[in-house]
Amino acid sequence: MSGRRLDAGGRIDRSRPIRFTFDGRGYDGFEGDTLASALLANGVDVVCRSPILGRPRGVVSAGVEEPSAFVEVAEPWFEPVVAAPMVNLIDGLVASGRPGVGRLPAQTHRTKPSVTRNRHVETLVIGSGGKGLEVARTAAARGERVLLVEREPYLAGSGLGRGPEGVEVLVDATALGVYDDGYVVVLHRGPEHDTVWHIRAARVVLATGAFERPIAFADNDRPGVMLNAAVGRYIRDFGVLPGARIVAFGANVTVLETHDLRRAGAEIVATADVREGWAVAGTEGETRVEAVHLVGPGGERRTVEADLVAVAGGWNPALQLYRAIGGGLRYDDDLATFVPDGSGPPWLEVVGAAAGDLPPSVAYWYTPAEDLSRHFVDLQRDQTVADVLAAVDGGLRSVEHVKRATYIGTAIDQGRTSGTMTAEIVNVALGWELGAQGPTNARPPFVPVSFAALAGLDRGPELLDPVRRSPMHAAHVERGAVFEDVGQWKRPRYFPHGDEDMQAAVARECLAVRDGAGVLDASTLGKIEVVGPDAPAFLDRMYTNRMSNLAVGSIRYGLMLGLDGMVFDDGVAMRLAEDRYLVTTTTGGAAAVLDRFEEWLQTEWPELRVYCTSVTEQWAVIAVGGPKARAVLADVGTDLDLLNDAFPFMTFRDGVVAGVAARVCRVSFTGELSYEIHVPSWDGPHVWEAVFAAGEMFGVEPYGTEAMHVLRAEKGFVIVGQDTDGTATPDDLGMGWIVNPSKGDFLGKRSLVRPDSVRSGRKQLVGIVPHDPDLLLPEGTQLIRSSTIGAPPVPMLGHVTSSYRSAALGWTFALAMVEGGRELRGRTIHAALAGGTAPVDVTDPVFYDAEGARRDG
Amino acid sequence: MAEPTAPLAHRATDLVRLHAAEVPFLSQIDVRCGTDAAARLGFPLEPNTVAGDMVRGVLWLGPDEWLVVGLPGTGPGVLAQLQAALTGSHASVVDTSANRAVIHLTGSLRLDLLATGCPIDLDPRGGWGPGRCAQTLFGRAPVLVQELVNATRIFVRPSFAEYVVDRLLAAAKVRS
Repeated sequence: MSGRRLDAGGRIDRSRPIRFTFDGRGYDGFEGDTLASALLANGVDVVCRSPILGRPRGVVSAGVEEPSAFVEVAEPWFEPVVAAPMVNLIDGLVASGRPGVGRLPAQTHRTKPSVTRNRHVETLVIGSGGKGLEVARTAAARGERVLLVEREPYLAGSGLGRGPEGVEVLVDATALGVYDDGYVVVLHRGPEHDTVWHIRAARVVLATGAFERPIAFADNDRPGVMLNAAVGRYIRDFGVLPGARIVAFGANVTVLETHDLRRAGAEIVATADVREGWAVAGTEGETRVEAVHLVGPGGERRTVEADLVAVAGGWNPALQLYRAIGGGLRYDDDLATFVPDGSGPPWLEVVGAAAGDLPPSVAYWYTPAEDLSRHFVDLQRDQTVADVLAAVDGGLRSVEHVKRATYIGTAIDQGRTSGTMTAEIVNVALGWELGAQGPTNARPPFVPVSFAALAGLDRGPELLDPVRRSPMHAAHVERGAVFEDVGQWKRPRYFPHGDEDMQAAVARECLAVRDGAGVLDASTLGKIEVVGPDAPAFLDRMYTNRMSNLAVGSIRYGLMLGLDGMVFDDGVAMRLAEDRYLVTTTTGGAAAVLDRFEEWLQTEWPELRVYCTSVTEQWAVIAVGGPKARAVLADVGTDLDLLNDAFPFMTFRDGVVAGVAARVCRVSFTGELSYEIHVPSWDGPHVWEAVFAAGEMFGVEPYGTEAMHVLRAEKGFVIVGQDTDGTATPDDLGMGWIVNPSKGDFLGKRSLVRPDSVRSGRKQLVGIVPHDPDLLLPEGTQLIRSSTIGAPPVPMLGHVTSSYRSAALGWTFALAMVEGGRELRGRTIHAALAGGTAPVDVTDPVFYDAEGARRDG
Repeated sequence: MAEPTAPLAHRATDLVRLHAAEVPFLSQIDVRCGTDAAARLGFPLEPNTVAGDMVRGVLWLGPDEWLVVGLPGTGPGVLAQLQAALTGSHASVVDTSANRAVIHLTGSLRLDLLATGCPIDLDPRGGWGPGRCAQTLFGRAPVLVQELVNATRIFVRPSFAEYVVDRLLAAAKVRS
């Protein structure tokens, strides 16, 4: 315990004490402390144990390069592992030592709120040293928007604590990554919340400074071995003396200002200047440095009592951000390290210490010794000089390979203190020149950042992903709908009465449609207006069947294929005029279909005169279906003639429904007589209620997606994406009738004649009827030939894609994709279930009203 | 009688907290045509700009797409007028009045709130100001933003409108 707080000095505010807890014990610090400075002030030497060897580890640095002192923060916000110098002390902080590997607690934990902000500036300066401030000042004077970010709590090059006139300054703000075209992501740590800034800058200036480098010697990981500049910072900025009897070691030891030390009551008990042939050979001590072994130019040895070794190994420019965006390095002999070689994107500049504006140094990376197995190179990975040399002895030459063999540079600090040292040890061991190869590359993020911080506001059930609601959503809530997620949409799944379960509610809803009338909110279907003289020809190329000969006022079902010939989406096309169609898509496929239309029009067929406009949300769609649908619609009030002859199946009419302009379509996804009422979305709630008001005497029921799925499956209608998985051709689905190869080319046509598309034994859509009329097969159930499951691999015939109880039929049934399925109709195969198999019959997929007698009422 | 329902009618209180209000039932006619026809109609040709006024404004949406925004109820008339004016040109005129909800956002922090989710430059020093518009994202919702004098309009698909309100509220909460 030799660290202590000084009576005066530093940027801390001694009038504002802060109480915090570390490893279960309470301590006091001050406003302006970091956790590292507060622990040093309280004489806490050991912050954590090393991850592999379990050796005691203390604070080595005062910044983001920290390779040794890692903690988990539990309160007020959870952070799994963070360097102690990067934790600003706040009231109520609870932390504990955590060797460089974090862990997530089993229970949910509080994460710090965060928000994302976007900013555009002409000049972004990263780092607030003198050079960074100068660049910012000059740019601001030109009238530019200038943002300066500094990862420390205060500006490095300004005693004033504020930036130049006209410069916006963010402190506690670390650039996580620099990306193409001046896009920079910055994590700004605030007391209450974090801000992730997404900055687009015309010019990015890296004034990122330099990291002091360590020197390896025996037991150089013992608490009390600290970087020389860090010792100075703890005294000057935090009023903390990390040790009183100091050994100064390195090539540049004068950096430690002796007057600072004298005022603080400390002394330098020995200086080991490598230029004079002196070096620190090792340390002794229980949990921290108590004695230091020195070795002289003639091999002479000396031991001094000391509690702190200040190591000044020279400086490495901080070029992690620069290299990750493509900047190159060159070796500088005077600095004995790597500096920018002037390459990199044109909008990026490197200035100041980062550009190599540094005092000269010498290449001295470790104190020679017989035993190098306690000369630590990467403290977080517990890797030593001996480990590096063993990798070289094993035949590795590239530092990239050595990195992967030793894991040096793969920990949280990404080798900020160990990377160049490792490269030079390898270069020397191989007999290569110094600087023959440089350090391995660091990648964004520059410091660890939590997913919660990156997510910003985009978390929680409402904001993680948009929740899209239909115009009639409030009405569905009022009717007690249970919702399901369909893509981003909330759709009513069923509408339970009282304490009905789903099975009972769905059975009731299905029977309402089969025997009376049901109403479905189909507003989520994608809708696109396709307009222009070439619209008919264009749609002929997009769908497998012909749309150009569709009569105005009529509707046709269509399939779209991928270029691989597999079913991609389906819907109907309505011909509004000679040069105008409205096509519908599946709920989930709306954006993809419009994208595909635009892609083909813009990239392949720009000569086609066609414009597409999304009108998905222009229209609310209310589908009234069932034998009583006509009577319901008549009672709702319409000027349309609803009789079959005047308004036949697969046509639409424009008219008035419930007092508003509407387009009514005779299409049916249930097999029953159906009218789809399309009205402007703001009229949807009114018309929806009007249907129920009129339908009351007919017993009209709202029905949800689950009943809709049952009803369509009873008719053998597929749902793209449920019964198909991107590997089904139209013929596989028994829909070869919809492919018209004589009409000219269309998307996917060529793939339909590939040998694999026409081979026998492809999976085909069939119906499945379990022998047990009450057995509901789980969707995804594998179907096999025999009633016993043999030794693996068990040959699979196919799988169940949809499975329901049919209230109309009185038994369960399923749709399935089965190899050569159509030839198996009438045969019994077996469903593989947990605990055994169950016999099922293969049937035609149409279970209900095969002759189609019900669609006209 | 047939009363239309504005998509955000039930969020009016939340909108007030945001210094915002819904502008319901504006007429919005989507026009796609070539540059020559657009120039003839007086449509703005400079990207992301608006021509006209509050009674009838024309927003540039893309190199061949504009949105003609007018007072409630004027849609059918404007539609017919545009169709007549574009006879003989390859063009598409579609009534999309109910395809987007419109939020009128005021207050000095409105652009800061939008900057929590819009990646584009909404800083007046970067050129953003009255007469400008842009199709962008707010969070994960596609939006069209239009700058007015001391106010910003957000056009958003009705199904995303509540998400936009919720996200604006969340942004305002973190800010305060």
